[in-house]
Amino acid sequence: MTHPTLASRHVTPMHCSHLRHKGMYVTGDVTSEPNGFADDIDATSFWCVCTQKAFGPDGLPVTLEDCATGRSCCNHDAAEAT
Amino acid sequence: MKAFAYVNAANEKEAIAALGPERGRMLPLAGGMDLLALMKDYVAQPERLVNVKNLDRTVAKTPDGGLRIGAAVTLAALAQHADVRRLYPALAEAAAEVGTPQIRNVGTLGGNLNQRPRCWYFRNEEFPCLKKGGARCFAVDGENQFHAIFGDGPCHIVHPSSLAVPAIALGARFRIVGPAGEREVTAADYYVMPDRNLYGETVLAPNELLTHVILPAPGTAKSATYEVRFKQSHDWPLAMASVALVMNGQTITSARVVMGAVAPVPWRAEGAEAALAGKRISEATATAAADAAVKGAKPMTQNGYKVQIAHTAVKRAILKAGGIAVV
Amino acid sequence: MADEQNPPAAPPPSGPARTWPPVADRALLGKPIRRIDGPDKSQGKAKYTYDIVRPGMLYGRLLSSPHPYAVVKSIDVTPALKVPGVKAAIALKDPAGPTAKIWYQGEEVAAVAATTEEAAEDAVRAIKVEYEILPALATVEQSMSANAPVNFPKGNVSAERLTLRPDKADVEAALKASAHIVEGTYSTQVQTHTSLETHGGICEWNGEKLTAWVSTQAVHATRDGLSRALQMQQSDVHVITDYMGGGFGSKLGPDVQVVIAAKLAKEAGAPVKLMLTRKEEHLITGNRPSAYAKVKAGVDAQGKLTAFDAETWGTGGAGQGAGFNIPYPVYAFGVLRQRHKDVFINAGPQRAMRAPGHPQACFITEVVVDELADRLRMDPLELRMRNLPPAGPDGQDLPTQQWRKYFPMAADKIGWSRRHATADTGSGPIKRGMGCAANRWAGGGSNRTRAACEILPDGGVVMRIGTQDIGTGTRTLVAMITAETMGLPLTAVKAAIGDSEYPWAPGSGGSTTVGSISPTVRIAAENARDALFAKVAPSLRVEPAALVAKDGRVQVKDNPAKGMTWKEACRLLGVQPISADGAWQQGLSSSGTSGVQFADVEVDIETGITRVKRVVCVQDCGMIVDRITAESQVYGGIIMGIGFALFEHRILDRNTAKMVNPNMEFYLLPGMSDIPEIDITLIDQPERGPVGLGEPPTISTAAAIANAIANATGARVRSLPLTPAAVLAALHEERSGGTR
Ligand SMILES: Cc1cc2nc3c(=O)[nH]c(=O)nc-3n(C[C@H](O)[C@H](O)[C@H](O)COP(=O)(O)OP(=O)(O)OC[C@H]3O[C@@H](n4cnc5c(N)ncnc54)[C@H](O)[C@@H]3O)c2cc1C
Ligand code: SF4
Repeated sequence: MTHPTLASRHVTPMHCSHLRHKGMYVTGDVTSEPNGFADDIDATSFWCVCTQKAFGPDGLPVTLEDCATGRSCCNHDAAEAT
Repeated sequence: MKAFAYVNAANEKEAIAALGPERGRMLPLAGGMDLLALMKDYVAQPERLVNVKNLDRTVAKTPDGGLRIGAAVTLAALAQHADVRRLYPALAEAAAEVGTPQIRNVGTLGGNLNQRPRCWYFRNEEFPCLKKGGARCFAVDGENQFHAIFGDGPCHIVHPSSLAVPAIALGARFRIVGPAGEREVTAADYYVMPDRNLYGETVLAPNELLTHVILPAPGTAKSATYEVRFKQSHDWPLAMASVALVMNGQTITSARVVMGAVAPVPWRAEGAEAALAGKRISEATATAAADAAVKGAKPMTQNGYKVQIAHTAVKRAILKAGGIAVV
Repeated sequence: MADEQNPPAAPPPSGPARTWPPVADRALLGKPIRRIDGPDKSQGKAKYTYDIVRPGMLYGRLLSSPHPYAVVKSIDVTPALKVPGVKAAIALKDPAGPTAKIWYQGEEVAAVAATTEEAAEDAVRAIKVEYEILPALATVEQSMSANAPVNFPKGNVSAERLTLRPDKADVEAALKASAHIVEGTYSTQVQTHTSLETHGGICEWNGEKLTAWVSTQAVHATRDGLSRALQMQQSDVHVITDYMGGGFGSKLGPDVQVVIAAKLAKEAGAPVKLMLTRKEEHLITGNRPSAYAKVKAGVDAQGKLTAFDAETWGTGGAGQGAGFNIPYPVYAFGVLRQRHKDVFINAGPQRAMRAPGHPQACFITEVVVDELADRLRMDPLELRMRNLPPAGPDGQDLPTQQWRKYFPMAADKIGWSRRHATADTGSGPIKRGMGCAANRWAGGGSNRTRAACEILPDGGVVMRIGTQDIGTGTRTLVAMITAETMGLPLTAVKAAIGDSEYPWAPGSGGSTTVGSISPTVRIAAENARDALFAKVAPSLRVEPAALVAKDGRVQVKDNPAKGMTWKEACRLLGVQPISADGAWQQGLSSSGTSGVQFADVEVDIETGITRVKRVVCVQDCGMIVDRITAESQVYGGIIMGIGFALFEHRILDRNTAKMVNPNMEFYLLPGMSDIPEIDITLIDQPERGPVGLGEPPTISTAAAIANAIANATGARVRSLPLTPAAVLAALHEERSGGTR
């Protein structure tokens, strides 16, 4: 069984390939028993791999909502994706 | 920290010669537990440090049965000294509770009595507060949970020295030397409110040194110090009190009650002293004295709770002096 | 999660079914083994990043913004270059570009590298920066107030997020039907990670190749971060972390400071070490967000929890969220609703911190549960037992949800039967009380974890895996599992970790390290050992499968006399070492932990000071690999929980948003004398394989202490930290009308 992906950290192809959160480096694909608390309101913090901080190259906050198609610094180079 | 010159003074005379009249430029360095931290934080930026660890570090008996304690005595030595413990428990107890064992092993009596305030606005360089020559006291409408509950400002520090409190309760005199010779002032007169000296906390001139603390014979006085601290170690008292109760048999004939960490100077509670005179030591008299001690407290926006804590400190110091279990 | 960006995981390699050795046969696993690097650490031989000095190395220093909200108008680094000993000075904000804005105090503005730390500090102070200072937001109340300046691009407060369970549940009706209702506002403070080793690293260039010694929880993530931030090939970046002094979730990459060190090193043509100051550590390396909750919760007359309705908010600082789930999912509330908003202020952004969201949610929920028990006049333990999730059809609780078993065990240990019902009515100002709370955590393991094992012709064994030991004992575990598999003593194997050139292992976070590395190391070791068996078998004239490695020998399973020493066996390798890889497989580890904690406290009602006398903890973590390092995780978690309960508090000046306690003097941490007796019962579940334990033990300490204070005093404190001021205020309120 796979770990249910929290909606609040659901990174899709729409998102910038420079977007990072802890789960990306920690779990990869987690095998897990159902834990029953995969809620939308979680504590994930995000950062940009290029700036290494919670603000992007455009000086604005890094968030799941904002780091997607349409933002000036958003990157979709597949080769660069993790 | 800013680079500085260092003078290793061999004695009082050399030390005085190496200091200057301008505030902050040349500073005595004792254990450095306070001063080095201030320098690392760029709050103190002296050009020259004058080592005063070579000042007197003995505890000597005076002809009248008191003690004369050198400024370079460490807090640990003071806390362990048999005569100090026997004659002046209030002082020994206060010394034993300062900071941590490391701080007490290095920190000195002179440094402790002359240490600078711990107000976090004062200690952080990004706050140009009144005491540092700025335009306002950030504590007034800021984070003042550890600030003064007595005094009218304009600066609302609490005096940080735990030893100044019993020193006043015990009627100590401080010997001061300077370019013009030596003088003595009472411990109570040594500390001054911010309206008299905003940029320092004492009457000491920048080119003077405190060299000795002279304690009168205790006579029949019973003394004690009680401190209230949140953490057991490595923390500052939220409030403390030292009392010296002159006894005639079971009766208190006169008393000195001084609170610490409640005002810009150690705060003498004359109301409490009056409430104790002629009474026996009991829970009831101690409570009445504590009530009188905190009467007139003017807490700031966040520190009302300190009134209760100061009250407890006074009550428990009195009971402790009387040998009554406090908790 | 990264799943969508990653290729689907390869199917588990076919091969022998993997198991742990039977419990009776284990020489090392599950035993109390002292950490193998303990002597080196205690003698100062273990070199942390902070300790490393490279030839010709320079010291880097940041110029951090003193202002929490400002625009950089100009930066002139030339005066810094004139300071003797300075080799490089760079501006990090572009006054003409989009990054001119400062969002929080401590943000990096410029940096220098010099031959001494003192020169670097002088140089930083020589840099001339002009700021346009803007009004900063220091508190959630300020950010939420109608006339606050809007400092964040999409407003100071996020859109609302909603959890409703079951969907479309009528919470209000359920509350109305409840026999008792508790209504109140609860809160927890911002806590900083306060790692003893501050963040930072040393960067050394060799042509286009970069070696970086970094204090990190993730050597591979740090390689990823450095290569992207510096736009270079990943293969040109080499990250080393031999020893590291604490991260707690805040060290999952190089961070700005190591990228800056690399830039300075390039500019200066010399290695540069840049470790943050304690002040910067508090300001810019993350924190646990604050949590606020307006809760309405109900219970029926029989003690069945009926409904939980919460409006929640909190701040993760500048631009980051502050989510947490309530009710904390231990007790089965009938229906529940949570409406949450993130509030932004001008302070350092949050980062994952030991069990992100859980201690906050646990505190709020467990205090509410205690208050409901008070309303019912029911023992709060009884109320908890009645509302645990129902057992499965077989009458058994899930192995990950063992509270029904643990609560009575811990209650027994702490002497719950002696607990008085309400306040301590004894005479004197010191009041004694007990409280409890439960926790849960997922853990798990990454199926991409890889390891490589070598057996050398001289008998040596090396296990290479790109994990890192963040103080948890990972190095010891790698060695133990390898040695156990080879039948060798611990000292005969080398655990090579903390290096990005070693096979991929995840960042140490989410309590997944043990679940990732244990299976992988076991498999790599088995593969190597089996390759050795294949070499040895012909000379013993048996099938390889008939061999075992035990007690320093390779021998026939049913005929131990037939065999040879490990060294003799390895000598048969000639000049060819064995190299074997291992890939994580399912079945050797699992996920899901549960535990409970009880606190016994004394409160001085004349000072408001709480002393924790005893904490009792019952906790599982699957199969225990090393009992000592497992217990040490629990000690650390509980001590950190005590810090969260009583002491730790990032205090910002409400008028300027500048932190007033960016140090360890007024940012209080529990010292030795503040640490109570801690009584740990670790439940071994050998059949489950290991489950991570780094996070769960810190979750319920604060809640148990808060409940114990209420039991001692009769006064409820609904906010953390439980300072003398807070306790005295609650006592005062209780006397003049009641906190309940
Ligand atoms: C974590 C922590 C907790 C602490 N807790 C307490 C506490 O509970 N109670 C308490 O009282 N203190 C406390 N301290 C402060 C410490 O006790 C004092 O800093 C110490 O006693 C100072 O002694 P020192 O010799 O190191 O002084 P230094 O740091 O050398 O000097 C302090 C100041 O006095 C001046 N000075 C030194 N000697 C003389 C002299 N002979 N004449 C005139 N001026 C002089 C110096 O110029 C300097 O300004 C704490 C400190 C820390 C870091
Ligand atoms: S209390 Fe005194 S030292 Fe503190 S901010 Fe006010 S003026 Fe400055």
